[in-house]
Amino acid sequence: MEKTARLALVDLSVGYGGRAVVQGINVSAEAGEIVTLIGPNGAGKSTVLKTVCRRLRPLSGRVELSGEDAHAMTARQAAARMAVLLTRQPAPDLITCFEVAALGRYPHTGRLGRLTQEDRDIVEESLRQAGAWEIRQSDFSRISDGQRQRVLLARALCQQPEVLLLDEPTTFLDLGGKIALMEVLHALAKERGVSIVLTLHETELAREISDKVLCLKGGRVHALGTPEQVFTPGNMEELFDLPQGVYTPGRGIRLRMGHTKEGEG
Amino acid sequence: METAGKRRRLAAYLLLSAAFLLFLGLSLASGSMTLKPGEILSALLGKDDGAGAQVILRLRLPRALAAALLGGALSVSGYLLQTFFGNPVAGPYVLGISSGAKLTVSIVMVFALQRLGALSFPLMMAAAFAGSMAVTLLILLFSGRSRSMATLLVVGLMVGNICSAVTDFFVTFADEAGVANLHAWSQGSFSGVSRENLLRIAPVILAALIAVRLLAKPISAYRLGETYAASMGVNVRAFRTALIALSSLLSACVTALTGPISFVGVAVPQLSRMLLGSSAPEAMIPGTFLLGAVFCMGCDLIARTAFAPTELAVSTVTAFFGAPVVIALMLRRSARREEA
Repeated sequence: MEKTARLALVDLSVGYGGRAVVQGINVSAEAGEIVTLIGPNGAGKSTVLKTVCRRLRPLSGRVELSGEDAHAMTARQAAARMAVLLTRQPAPDLITCFEVAALGRYPHTGRLGRLTQEDRDIVEESLRQAGAWEIRQSDFSRISDGQRQRVLLARALCQQPEVLLLDEPTTFLDLGGKIALMEVLHALAKERGVSIVLTLHETELAREISDKVLCLKGGRVHALGTPEQVFTPGNMEELFDLPQGVYTPGRGIRLRMGHTKEGEG
Repeated sequence: METAGKRRRLAAYLLLSAAFLLFLGLSLASGSMTLKPGEILSALLGKDDGAGAQVILRLRLPRALAAALLGGALSVSGYLLQTFFGNPVAGPYVLGISSGAKLTVSIVMVFALQRLGALSFPLMMAAAFAGSMAVTLLILLFSGRSRSMATLLVVGLMVGNICSAVTDFFVTFADEAGVANLHAWSQGSFSGVSRENLLRIAPVILAALIAVRLLAKPISAYRLGETYAASMGVNVRAFRTALIALSSLLSACVTALTGPISFVGVAVPQLSRMLLGSSAPEAMIPGTFLLGAVFCMGCDLIARTAFAPTELAVSTVTAFFGAPVVIALMLRRSARREEA
């Protein structure tokens, strides 16, 4: 089964300069599956994503795209299969949103990067899908963070990837934007069969959207399973070091009002 | 929008072409001997071989074309550096790269004049290229990947000053004949570019520009930053190597022939972006070259004629127009940061 998976992390250890941040990761994403990475700050979620998207070399183990070692591919081969949405937004000016999205055609265009009519159609479709068609003529540096996120997503869709990686894609979005993004991702996975791997801080969203949830803590995999298996009070309290009774599945977080915080009073 | 953008670019190109012809005409007409359009035309067409025609064909035309070609090359070199560092204040002069070329060329000049009696063109080019590359790598080493404009500027300033100091040291101890030669060149001027050297350098610059044009696709993607570019299929290491090599080659071509010329490489790409209303490299590469050509021809014209018969160093004029652009960039960037 792991041979056929769109994306497979096999005995993967990740980190910087030989020092492991997370070790022994084994997880796979089939076509149309959404895998979410959750865990406390500093647990290494982003490091895992950086390794999957080839920014970092694995300390050991492999990242496989349909059975092939992703780190042995050329940038262009990998880009034709895998697209990325980063937390940090670039801010180039004097470039329209259409042009930014069209950059996603990079692995598919020729040496001079000329867009064919087919490329243009794909850019239009991607912009519409990401909800950014209306702002296609705007300058990329003069739109809101949320709009910029949509344009960058449209750009990722232009790559027509089999695997889409998103590092905390909800960071710049308001509640409406978060929900809209989750719906777009869900449609991509279920209608187009794109395999999606993302990191999220919002456990409620992760519960709704994920097929699999990978919990990271203390340099290893704390738990891996379906949302039903993972989002239990016991597991969440352990994962995030919560006081007992704070996390209730179905209701999400319940604050204990009137409880004096440490260091106050 | 696409058509509006194209129309604006077309208008910009037309404007630049018109300015090019205007400055070329003025450069040919003005000087110690003022010539009329008719005289210029007949000289260019070879119908006249009087004193006026000699002045045009032997002096003014090569000098104007040198200013245009080398000014364009210097500007494109700056554009590549700005892409490389992701920083709008990068430029071959500002970062001390021109000073690096000046240093190596001076050393080679002093030794070659002593040992060989003359300096061959390929040797001078090789020295300029080595100096440019060395300083670029040095700056890369010192500034790391810092995106701060101030860090880059300070490192560039220091490296440039060190190179100039060492150059001065060599000049002081070089023999008399060598110094006269070196001193004129180290001030930066288009006047010393011979027709032969111009014809030798033109194919090198042309080849470099074609190579730059072939990099338009990754340059375009690189506008989103290194990580996004890599994720979209840019081979970042090969691309960055090509950027520095071509940038150093272009600025070395200029420095070898004219000496260091200030602020052209940093200011012109910024001005051409504003003029074109786009940062797309397909527009920026020809636009920057053309504007650089016009800018340097205009500055050289001013240097030559403003206080005639005294001639200004061309860097005096380019700095006068170019340095304010750098200041404006710094102010705009810090204003934007406060806004955010």
